[in-house]
Amino acid sequence: MRASNKLMSVSRDWRERDVRVVLVALIIAVATVATIALFASQLQRTLVSSASSFLAADRQLEAENGRPIPPEWLENAQSRGLETGRMVEFSTMVFGESGFQLVSVKAVSDEYPLRGEIEIQSGAAEPRQIVSQGPGPGQVWVNPRLLRLLELDIGDTLEVGNLKLEITRLLIREPDGGFRLSSLAPRVMMHVDDVAGTGVVQEGSRVEYVYLFAGAEGVLEDYYQWLEPQLEPSHEWEGVRDGETFSRSLERAERFLLLGGSLAVLLAAVAVAVASRQYALSQRDTVALLKTLGLSSRGIGELYLRRLTLWGVVGVLGGLAVALPLFWLLVRLLSDLLERPVDFYLDPSALTPSLLTALVSLFAFAYPPIRRLRNVPAMRVLRSQPGETGREAIPDILLAVVAVFGLVWMYAGELMLVAALLGGLVLLLGVLGLLGWGMVALLRRVKGGGNSWRLALVGLYRHRRASMAQMAVFAMTLMLAATLVLVRSSLLDDWQAQLPDDAPNHFLINIAPDAVDDVEEFWATRGAPLETLYPMVRGRLTELNGEPVKEAVSKDERVGALNRELNLTWMPELPEDNRIVDGQWFGPGETEGVSVEAELAEKLGLQLGDRLTFTIGSSKVTEPVTSIRTVQWDSMKPNFYMAFPPDGGLTDMPATWITAFYLNPDNKLALNDFSRQFPTVSVLEIDHIIDRIQQIVQQVTQAIEAILALILAAALVVMAAVVSATLRDRQREGALLRTLGGQQSLLARSTMLEFALLGFFAGTLGVIAAEGAVYALQAGMFEGTFRWHWQVMLPVPLIAAILLALFGRWQLRPVLSVSPMLLLRRLE
Amino acid sequence: MNQMTDLSNTDSNLMLRVTDLTHRVSLETDTLTILQGVSLEINRGESVAIVGRSGSGKTTLLGLLAGLDTPTEGTVELDGAVISKLSEDERAKLRARRVGFVFQSFQLLPALTALENVMLPLELGGTEAPEQRARELLDRVGLGERLNHTPRQLSGGEQQRVAIARAFASDPAILFADEPTGNLDNRTGQAVSDLLMDLNREQGTTLVMVTHDEHLAERCGRQLHIEAGVLTEPDLAGEPAH
Repeated sequence: MRASNKLMSVSRDWRERDVRVVLVALIIAVATVATIALFASQLQRTLVSSASSFLAADRQLEAENGRPIPPEWLENAQSRGLETGRMVEFSTMVFGESGFQLVSVKAVSDEYPLRGEIEIQSGAAEPRQIVSQGPGPGQVWVNPRLLRLLELDIGDTLEVGNLKLEITRLLIREPDGGFRLSSLAPRVMMHVDDVAGTGVVQEGSRVEYVYLFAGAEGVLEDYYQWLEPQLEPSHEWEGVRDGETFSRSLERAERFLLLGGSLAVLLAAVAVAVASRQYALSQRDTVALLKTLGLSSRGIGELYLRRLTLWGVVGVLGGLAVALPLFWLLVRLLSDLLERPVDFYLDPSALTPSLLTALVSLFAFAYPPIRRLRNVPAMRVLRSQPGETGREAIPDILLAVVAVFGLVWMYAGELMLVAALLGGLVLLLGVLGLLGWGMVALLRRVKGGGNSWRLALVGLYRHRRASMAQMAVFAMTLMLAATLVLVRSSLLDDWQAQLPDDAPNHFLINIAPDAVDDVEEFWATRGAPLETLYPMVRGRLTELNGEPVKEAVSKDERVGALNRELNLTWMPELPEDNRIVDGQWFGPGETEGVSVEAELAEKLGLQLGDRLTFTIGSSKVTEPVTSIRTVQWDSMKPNFYMAFPPDGGLTDMPATWITAFYLNPDNKLALNDFSRQFPTVSVLEIDHIIDRIQQIVQQVTQAIEAILALILAAALVVMAAVVSATLRDRQREGALLRTLGGQQSLLARSTMLEFALLGFFAGTLGVIAAEGAVYALQAGMFEGTFRWHWQVMLPVPLIAAILLALFGRWQLRPVLSVSPMLLLRRLE
Repeated sequence: MNQMTDLSNTDSNLMLRVTDLTHRVSLETDTLTILQGVSLEINRGESVAIVGRSGSGKTTLLGLLAGLDTPTEGTVELDGAVISKLSEDERAKLRARRVGFVFQSFQLLPALTALENVMLPLELGGTEAPEQRARELLDRVGLGERLNHTPRQLSGGEQQRVAIARAFASDPAILFADEPTGNLDNRTGQAVSDLLMDLNREQGTTLVMVTHDEHLAERCGRQLHIEAGVLTEPDLAGEPAH
């Protein structure tokens, strides 16, 4: 049908204002969702690779049994295209000219590190260098503290077992600068091929073989699937996700991005719905005419369906045309933020949500009002017919709500998120209904008059249906935007609270019981007071209710804590950041029982009253579970899976003490004095880890802010679309008012007031609904504590009022600048 | 479709037959009778003016005659087809083939050019070479130079001339005109009605026109008056129109 084709041409559609709005809304929808999805996928990759550097790889396989893994395991990984590397870690004595020192050796292959970089110096006064390969054969890189302890210098020789190795660099930072309590003494890094020559590592030596793997996520997963059945209990497979320190930050960042993307989907849907409804209204005359000229209802349906499909194509192509350069810019920005090049990674699967968004926006939001055009009576050409009451749209609205929330659900994969947003919206609409009813009741009493306040109030009343619809859309938009702002700030506050500037950055381990007081005093006099000291007893969990634990726990559950010795402790009081989730903490004088960390308890399926047997050295201790508690693993303080009461099951067991403290970087040299005075106490320096975490948090924050800006921009566009949807009516009214003698200033003032009131109401409602949604999100997804956000609640309604007043003034511009005569004719 | 063939045998010269037409609309509390027992016959090639004041029911009658709406009671036979027995789509098909319209407010599609507006019914009716026919008609109404102008770029009189070209484009058997000069000044209105009458004569179309303009009504072969939903023919005063 060529007439339809003619009617359908996009370039002709573009001449129609309402089609422009629909297309722009669609393009923005696709662009926003695509940009966020692409960027989120890129960010996740970047963050994972950034966090991967904590492992110096994407995955590590540790063999704690003192034996290398079978070579075919590595060959298999290589055959899959994975990069591999290996390390051998052991403790040994090294000798310099003036003495000897216990060191922790890390011998690395040429490939090390697969992820991240090593920071070195070629002399104490030289600038720091970043390199991506360890020392070659015959060389060692050492911790600067070792040089001071042994009074050596760069270029000197260090004896490791039978080998004499040349000290070529100072080792400042290694990407996997472990957070392991076993890394005791100063670090020495050498080449793995030299290990045999040292003769230090022999059958039965305490040595750990570590293998590094890096590659595509899917390949790593497949490889692990292959590897898992062959692993022994002494093998531990570690990924970034398992590292307790970062996983929470990463998860939250991801969730935030998903939340942002979901909100973008919602905003897009709202924009398309508003614009297409407006379009459908404007098409009624055309449809009536086409019917009069002989086009059947079916023909009308097909005509508009084809048109919609065409819009979809234009929307998707246009959206991608906007999204790709935007994405490129964001990646550039990310590179700048990270101060390193980021690979431009275009994840095709990240485009799916944007295509689905376009489809859902079009067919769940734009199509229903347009489909109803088929029902427009032909008689409309002769006489205007009663318009839609809005009631027939209710099933469509329900369908649209289900569709969009289904989309959000699919997109974010979080039922909680969907529920929180839906709940927030229901709350919003409920309040809106009440408010609308009140507003109509109140405004009815205002009689028309000359001053701008009255005119504004009468205006609101006269357009009460449109006003309510606009307010609903504004409130929804503001709610979504405010939710994002609120979640962002509480996320950041939370991170900040987790890692304050004076977070402990050094651990002291292996403090003999009789040295505890001296150690405390040593640091107290140097202005670095210690956190709480805890006793530490190494033991294995061996039995559960009298049954060997490996049999008691299902084989499907891989519980890392079972594979190694646990650090057991006793403590009189619950640490501040721990929370009891079940049972009771030990009462005063109570000596029986053990408190278990919640996640471990869940993995082992422990209940209160279960009897746990620990093997400590040659003795066994059995205690019932009396409480289950959560632990802040990322608090950078000593944390324990198992806590006993004082004078409980651990009494008389061989214990050493552990603590953490904050040491100012300027005070770092005090560590040398400390090592000399307390040679048996190990110092674990984690300051660089904390720096890295803070750096990551900062990167994530900046990414989150970039996305927030994008979504706020989308929200503004939605509001502009809604305001301009009623443009023609308002312009006509304005022209009439002027014709009837209304002064320009009166008209401008009353319009601005009307919109300001609308904005203020909408802002208030939006913020209240946002608080509701944030409350639910906090409770369900982000595990934070909720509080009211006055700093956001007060300004949002005001900002909304000002913004809308300006929008209103702006759309009134043609009314004020052109003669009423000309305007009325133009609007005819 | 059967009804069309059945009834077309009755009187091949009859274009429109209306029998006991009554139309009511429901209001919130009340039912309003807009047309009351209207009966009427119009032969092929006749030109008929329906004259009445605002609110007399003349536009409703026109809509029912043209099959844009269906009556509460009574029947309308248009070119042999009983309109109230046709589905909406069948009525649309009938309009596409047999009926032309001219409206008071022109009803041109603002996004289409003059040429495209005239081509529209031709394409809907599946006519071959619609563009050539549309050009000829626009030439005929004196707008041969304005083919690619959109309605906004045309004056009221020019827009109505495009609408007239469109109305005759599909070669209709019957043309309905609703106050065709109602939105135009006297002189332009005169020119437009001249054009309408001339084309009507040239094409041998049946014309049914609703107007409150007595001068325009006088140019039609037959005048009917409508008041409060009751139709009368002055020549047969007191009798229902026949």
